[in-house]
Amino acid sequence: MSKQVEKVVETTDVKPTPAPEKLRGAPIPVKKEGVTYRQDLVDKDVILRVSHLKQFFTSGSGQNKFRNKAVHDISFDVKKGEVFGLVGESGCGKTTTGRSIIRLYNVTSGSVYFKGHRINAGTRWNEKEIKWKTLNAKNDIKKLTKQMKDEIKDVQNEERENLESVVANIRANYQEKINAVKQELDAIVKEQKARIKQIKYDLKHLNPEVMTKMQMIFQDPSDSLNPRMTVEDIIQEGLQIQGLKDKAENSKKVVEVLEKVGLIADYASRYPHEFSGGQRQRIGIARALIMNPELMIADEPISALDVSIRAQIINLLNDLREEYGLTILFIAHDLSVVKYFCDRIAVMYYGEIVELTTSEELFKHPLHPYTKALLSAIPKPDPLSEKSRQRLIYNPFTDHDYREEKPTLQEIVPGHFVLANSAEIEKYNKEIAAIDKKANKAKVSE
Amino acid sequence: MNNKEIVIKVEDLAISFATDHGRLHAVRGVSFELYRGEVLAIVGESGSGKSVSAKTIMGILPRNGRIEKGSIMYEGEDLTRISEEDFHRLRGKKIGMIFQDPLSSLNPIMKVGRQLTEAIIINADKVKQKYNDLISPQLIALNNRRVQDEILISEKENDVIDFIFNARQEMSAIRKNTALSKEEKKAAINKVRAGIKAKRAEKRAFVKSIHADSKPIIKALALELVAAKKAAKIETLKFKKDLTDKRDAELSALTAKLKATSDAEERKAIEAQIEKVKTEYINNVRITRAEAKKQALKVMEEVGIPQPARRFRQYPFEFSGGMRQRIVIAIALIQNPDVLICDEPTTALDVTIQAQILELINRLKRERNLSVIFITHDLGVVANMADRVAVMYAGKIVEYGLVNELFYDPRHPYTWALLSSIPDVDSRERLEAIPGTPPNMVYPPKGDAFAPRSRYAMAIDFKEEPPYFKVSETHYAKTWLLDPRAPKAEMPNIVASRIKNSLKKGGKKDE
Repeated sequence: MSKQVEKVVETTDVKPTPAPEKLRGAPIPVKKEGVTYRQDLVDKDVILRVSHLKQFFTSGSGQNKFRNKAVHDISFDVKKGEVFGLVGESGCGKTTTGRSIIRLYNVTSGSVYFKGHRINAGTRWNEKEIKWKTLNAKNDIKKLTKQMKDEIKDVQNEERENLESVVANIRANYQEKINAVKQELDAIVKEQKARIKQIKYDLKHLNPEVMTKMQMIFQDPSDSLNPRMTVEDIIQEGLQIQGLKDKAENSKKVVEVLEKVGLIADYASRYPHEFSGGQRQRIGIARALIMNPELMIADEPISALDVSIRAQIINLLNDLREEYGLTILFIAHDLSVVKYFCDRIAVMYYGEIVELTTSEELFKHPLHPYTKALLSAIPKPDPLSEKSRQRLIYNPFTDHDYREEKPTLQEIVPGHFVLANSAEIEKYNKEIAAIDKKANKAKVSE
Repeated sequence: MNNKEIVIKVEDLAISFATDHGRLHAVRGVSFELYRGEVLAIVGESGSGKSVSAKTIMGILPRNGRIEKGSIMYEGEDLTRISEEDFHRLRGKKIGMIFQDPLSSLNPIMKVGRQLTEAIIINADKVKQKYNDLISPQLIALNNRRVQDEILISEKENDVIDFIFNARQEMSAIRKNTALSKEEKKAAINKVRAGIKAKRAEKRAFVKSIHADSKPIIKALALELVAAKKAAKIETLKFKKDLTDKRDAELSALTAKLKATSDAEERKAIEAQIEKVKTEYINNVRITRAEAKKQALKVMEEVGIPQPARRFRQYPFEFSGGMRQRIVIAIALIQNPDVLICDEPTTALDVTIQAQILELINRLKRERNLSVIFITHDLGVVANMADRVAVMYAGKIVEYGLVNELFYDPRHPYTWALLSSIPDVDSRERLEAIPGTPPNMVYPPKGDAFAPRSRYAMAIDFKEEPPYFKVSETHYAKTWLLDPRAPKAEMPNIVASRIKNSLKKGGKKDE
């Protein structure tokens, strides 16, 4: 237990998560009687907390069984009202993270908390913990028993007096040790089982109303809209699923939301194929917006669009964010867009977060070599700098030396986390100092 | 710039498509030149006609597409007029193309190796190649002459059609005219009809005269072609016969030797020699599969695919996006083309992979002295790759110039809008999105096509199309803002400040 909590403290910049024993906060009233939801988060500003999320995909069976660790132990918090960016190349698990958060996948391990509710969690880690701890304990007991037998044999060979009492003494001694191991194991198993039970309970009694406060915009606007449904049907489908079946009322809402995203009311009766890419993406946004979400997960909403339309969609998202106080989890591979749009950025590489900080800080002090490689690959509309550009190549096998110490996500400057071990932290500290010195010099010379 | 050799010259190209909603005018008069060894970037939104122009150069326009007018000159031939058969001589061998989505441009159920060697094996017959090469000058001359006549005749026909259209309108006007009496109307109409008749007769006479003029020339050219074919046939036969004779002579000598000796080791050596003679002959006559594979492996290594021998036997799905695009590039390069057309080669790729592919294309261009037409909508990519840039909008080039001129001294409002809509790494100002969407090209807009979306639009922009105004020797823009009578318009602040910054960084003074 303590291990997990400690890690959370390390890896997030909000106040430490309390252990489940110390859960506090007011229970949120719900429809069903007899079930209460416990507020897990102390910090009211945190709307979404992802803790130790793991998402594995398995394929094949028997000898060919292959486990793809798409997301491997990531933790982050999203504060209310901010835009949080997840950046990385394709295949790094950023989309998987988004989809796990919104329950399109059942996560393998770790938990996702939204507005204080555990909305998605996996028990694999807990099950493994029970399994390995039990195995370890069994081994320990075996060892102890063997030791005891040896000792007894030695004593018997010596042929001492009052042999029986000595043997009994040894036996009692070892029995105590074995009992201690067993007790420890029992405590761990009990705790893990309680947690598994809690997770299962939480997931079973999930409040659907909470889930509607989280909506998603998909990457490809033409694939994510049903071609056989009119725009109105597409947009109000969510309302109908939630039990709002008053058609007149729903239509009114559809028109309202269409105008919000910059389309006209006439479009409601048309089909998706009649629209251009940018307009389709607006429909996708309208569909998410009609549920009055608090958190919007935008999964590369602009990468399938033209350059001129991109700016329109970004500006629209910006406006909506201000108007509704939306929190946005923005997933993208283009750092220039992310920098423009996001408050905080997490850079992902092969299922792990390698750097997490505010966008200004990330561009001012990029530390992890992968972040630097990403930054150096951004094309700029500036021929002079482009022609002299040096592209950095990231190779995880030569850039790091992790033979002695494994890396962890550490806070190097307040609010700036980077995946590194202690040797690298020193190196990065020097880098930061050098960059600051250079910037100061430039300021002075100006 | 002007002393450079022109590879492809596109002149006044117009292309339209037949669609359910009417004729869609995708390209409406585009002219540009591609110089040897340079990269020409064509930038524009989707639907601006940039891909269509490139596809026309490759001769892979969809069936509903039609070339309305214009020409694409490549090595003395007009690519808009030549037949599919003739395109086989050019496509792949002279002009290569890289497509946007590497997954959909590769065959999923065919191994990568076969896709790479496919083109080589189709053109494997060296004797036939030699024959085609020998007759090609005469063939091109004949085709060009025929095309010339066709152009003259079609121009005349268009003339007549216009005349008849006007005459019919005149006639209906006369019929509606109440001031005239019946007889007067009849007389007037008859007069117009006589005019039409005369025009038609004139056309017929013109066509006849053209045919009469060109008939002897065409006949002469055709005879020349026949003669060339005959000569080529004799030459290729001789070429083949020489090879066969040489092989037979060597083989008979060797077999005689083989019969004479009984020493096992010597026999082995002679047998090896016989084998060698046979393979030599085969290599001279055609390219074998093994030879094709060797070439393919070489190109695969050149485009940076590790372990080419293993990769050769894999299917496209076993490759990552970047590797797939490398395969596509290898397929385009395997027959050593002079011209490479890249149709948004990096749009489907990640930023890091994009940077790798761009570096690869740049390197190949230098090593092979390729001339590249690079089509994209990303101005960042353009700044990296291009020597010259053409900005397209609604089927027309609105601005073109050297890359530095276009990025540091843009003149057209559309270029300004494109530049200001890119989020910049260095600033966080609100983006200036281009309002609205590109026009529907079934009903091409009158005047300046960008005017409805531009905040610099003037009254004349909606009435008359602007000509190309010269900014410098190499830089032209198609906007009324450059007219001396136009009010002074400044480019958006965001662009101006960005240009200032980057010029400062680049160590150049703002002029």
